[in-house]
Amino acid sequence: MSLVMSGTSARKKAVPRKSRKKRSTFDTTLGRAVLQLLGVAIFFALWEAGVHAGYISAFLMGSPSGIFATFYKLILSGELLSDSWYTLFEAILGFIIGTIFGSLFGLALWYSVFVAKLVEPFIVAINSVPKIALAPIVVLWFGTGLISKVALAVSLTALVALIAAYQAAKDADVDLQSLMISMGADKHQVFWKAVVPSTLPSIIATFRINIGFGLVGAVVGEFISSQRGLGHMIFLASSLYDLNSVWVGLFTLMILGFVLYYVIDIIERTSLPWKQATTSHQVQV
Amino acid sequence: MPPKQIQLTVQNISKSFAGKGGDVNVLDDLSFTINERDFVSIIGPSGCGKTTIFNIIAGLLEPDGGTITYRGKEIESLRGRVGYMMQKDLLFPWRTVMGNVLLGLETRGVDQKEAEEKAREYLKQFGLAGFENAYPKTLSGGMRQRVALIRTLIMDPDILLLDEPFSALDYQTRLYLEGVLKDAVQTYNKTVILVTHDIDEAVALSKRVVVLSGRPARVKVVHEIDIEATSPITARNDVKFSTYFKTLCAELDIQTETTS
Repeated sequence: MSLVMSGTSARKKAVPRKSRKKRSTFDTTLGRAVLQLLGVAIFFALWEAGVHAGYISAFLMGSPSGIFATFYKLILSGELLSDSWYTLFEAILGFIIGTIFGSLFGLALWYSVFVAKLVEPFIVAINSVPKIALAPIVVLWFGTGLISKVALAVSLTALVALIAAYQAAKDADVDLQSLMISMGADKHQVFWKAVVPSTLPSIIATFRINIGFGLVGAVVGEFISSQRGLGHMIFLASSLYDLNSVWVGLFTLMILGFVLYYVIDIIERTSLPWKQATTSHQVQV
Repeated sequence: MPPKQIQLTVQNISKSFAGKGGDVNVLDDLSFTINERDFVSIIGPSGCGKTTIFNIIAGLLEPDGGTITYRGKEIESLRGRVGYMMQKDLLFPWRTVMGNVLLGLETRGVDQKEAEEKAREYLKQFGLAGFENAYPKTLSGGMRQRVALIRTLIMDPDILLLDEPFSALDYQTRLYLEGVLKDAVQTYNKTVILVTHDIDEAVALSKRVVVLSGRPARVKVVHEIDIEATSPITARNDVKFSTYFKTLCAELDIQTETTS
């Protein structure tokens, strides 16, 4: 007993109490989730109370109770789910096509400095046009169906991927390439074994941005002209001053974006195992 | 001892780079020879163009003039036949230890199974068995440089070009790796050209030391190092060691005694 006692007192001496930061009870995954949900609940409660007290116009702002009722109704009717799938499909398809083509083209520019320098001003010029402004033409060209939304999403994502991939290929470690050349590797081998792998982190980092742009393309395409999708639903509801439906559409988009973000996160972690090789320790300040 | 045969001759090599204030003459009329199974260290003031010599021999740079002769034949460069090792270990971070060791054999198109078997043998010999699937990030500096050495040796290069390979490591690790290198060179019958800042290292490892002058680099003097020692550590205890060391310091204009 006394041994144990002296042991603990010795440890107390060795590590002065002040230097040890006490972790808050809420500083755990569960604790943080509780705080986050609490914040959301308070936000909706204040909104609802404001509507009831007459400070907030339910006509212009909607009300949480109305939103939940609409949400429930639209889920039961199956409309929300089918609209969500439609928009999600457009966004993902546009994201995949745009990212693949953009990345491949950007990487290919590594092969020829001459071609890269030749097309660079054009890429900058095209990139400086707000792609959303293309929406009306895209609808003219590709119709009011699925293809025009995908095309818009592609136009938004492709250049982001292209510029990121080209930049990453340019920045790839020259020493690694020199090493391969000294080993007798040809240009293709240097490209596939040294350049492409080293650009992967940058390319995958654009996935996060581009998945959002995919959704933007899909929704804006639906705004312009569509019979389906969340963008269509939001546009229609707002022209009818049905604010609750508008919010349901927006919150659903938020949830979609949220889920996609974490899917990308998983892709990033599983496709770059070497980045996760060591656990990084955060510095306590 | 059999008569020394010349393996590589570098003759009248010159190279200049375009700089801000006109061309910078890095190498001017540089010539030296390397014998079969030689271990030559090249020392010289920093920035005198030692790395440029390597880049020319390895085929990464084209010289402005001069010739390279290999075993009696004039060649453009030894690209694909040299083992180039630099100060940075240059391990590919996305490849495991095994993947890094296999890099050269892969580019050469060696059968995967055969290559892996060979790699395992090398890894075992250099005490890295069990680390096949580790990523470079998780290894210590000494281990990483050992992987780089294996990656170089497994290609069975004609000549090893070592560009300050140990200078980023701590002294103990450096001593240990110098021993590993010397053993490996003996086992695999390799010719080595070592560029180093470290006079101590140059004397302990080499058969000959080439001293270069400042830019543009020219061979100032070549010293035969006559130390019969089995390891770089025992070489440092040799009676002649400090004489060589002092001579080389003097040639590099490093003051060894304070003059008041």
